[in-house]
Amino acid sequence: MTDVYVIGIGMTQFGKHPDRTTASLGAEAVRKAIHDAGIDPRVIQTGYAGHVFQPMVTGQQVLAQVGLAGIPLANVENACSSGATAIRGSYLDILAGVADVSLAFGTEHLTGAFKGAFTPGEDDPEAAVGATMPAVYAMRARRYMEEFGLTREQLARISVKNKRNAALNPLAHFKKDITIDDVLAARPIAEPFGLLDCSPVSDGAAAVVLASGDWVKRHGDPARAVRLAASALRTGEVETAPGSMTFEVLTHKTARDAYEAAGVGPEDVDFAEVHDCFTIAEILRIEGLGLFEQGTYPHAVERGEADIGGRFPVNPSGGLLGKGHPLAATGVAQVVELTKQLRGEAEDRQIEGARVGIAHCRGGKAAGVEGAACTVQILVR
Amino acid sequence: MTTTKTPVSFRPRELVVAEDGTGHLVGSRCPTCGAHYFPTREVCAGCLTEDLETVPLPRRGTLYTYTVVHQSTPAFETPYVLGYVDLEAPVRVMGQIDVDPEEVAIGMALELKIVPWGTDDEGRTVWGYRFGGVS
Ligand SMILES: [Zn+2]
Repeated sequence: MTDVYVIGIGMTQFGKHPDRTTASLGAEAVRKAIHDAGIDPRVIQTGYAGHVFQPMVTGQQVLAQVGLAGIPLANVENACSSGATAIRGSYLDILAGVADVSLAFGTEHLTGAFKGAFTPGEDDPEAAVGATMPAVYAMRARRYMEEFGLTREQLARISVKNKRNAALNPLAHFKKDITIDDVLAARPIAEPFGLLDCSPVSDGAAAVVLASGDWVKRHGDPARAVRLAASALRTGEVETAPGSMTFEVLTHKTARDAYEAAGVGPEDVDFAEVHDCFTIAEILRIEGLGLFEQGTYPHAVERGEADIGGRFPVNPSGGLLGKGHPLAATGVAQVVELTKQLRGEAEDRQIEGARVGIAHCRGGKAAGVEGAACTVQILVR
Repeated sequence: MTTTKTPVSFRPRELVVAEDGTGHLVGSRCPTCGAHYFPTREVCAGCLTEDLETVPLPRRGTLYTYTVVHQSTPAFETPYVLGYVDLEAPVRVMGQIDVDPEEVAIGMALELKIVPWGTDDEGRTVWGYRFGGVS
């Protein structure tokens, strides 16, 4: 079986872009990824475009702007996992021998499409009684507090850490360090969360170019190519009895698929980018991925172990809380960060000696299932 | 037909409201393995049995977790307490909790209450549900 490599990465500034369109953001990220790969765009054979609240055939609008119209492309919607699912499309095309070089991107002009708290799908019975995404995660936080003695301050530290990392990332939405007191004093959203426990509404796009091992050997730059060793996707299972909301079976099972495909275990992983849509989410993801024992990660954060320079850095890019969360761009931006770190191009936030990185995305909510879509990708230097 | 007398439910497939103002949530029960589902399902996720029974769900349960919501959609006035209640089937159902935010606690016993939810186009009261303390 062939290996798959990330050969080009591109990302726009994340933040508010009132004067831009979804397609122009996507085109900027794609052009950057093509330039970073140093390729003639015509070597790209297939494409996948992730977007959630954007116009139909946004992917084709982007292609038309970058000189790629004509190639087979599919638009992909999997809520917050849309971009990561697009990457999986390219990964599978290369594994299947359908393409030697494939493009995946995610683009979202979210401020133009949405304001306030996200809710599950409109016809969802939980949305009908007042569920919002912050409320659903706040309930998981409350339960975690009850079971493991998590404190409000420990939760706040996750936001402080990720915004500190974001301040080192020129493309991040947030540029400012904050304190625990800032988090505690923020406007309440869904208790125990205040505004700074929630990822912001951001615009942005990110893109990657993937290529087969053979292509990299013949035409690529092996010194900068980073191997995408696994790109796993699962959907949430229907619960046959009320389950735990403090351990993510969906994350755990997706991670198991990814570890198996990559031939590595959690003990081999050096750092992670995970879907911290809310402060509690970083805890649930990291423990679900098997990187820390259940109930222990909040203490590790308190000891500085998850900082850049700590034993196991988490969300060095700033994560969703700091870098921003343009839904479909998020999963692609995680792979952009992993690639930068593994190439040694992460500048002020470089993790020394990193060799294996893991990216995790989870999105969507439907009543009666644990979660809608989950992706785990493993990159190896 | 006596439909004119039947109170209007905010979501008839999920909540049945009787003429006397009592009501129950509607779920599915698998006759093969006994699993319960809310909302109703076509197929049992546990054993793949297809002919699930539509059943009234028990009215009582315990609070698994909760939050006080301060920012929501325009359809809801804030703040309100929202929670997941484990009904005795067992099956977990989300609902608003009619308990003072200062007194709400994980593990507390709750029961279904049928409450006014709004009005329809014809000016009739539409009924929804919340969970409140056991009387
Ligand atoms: Zn069954």
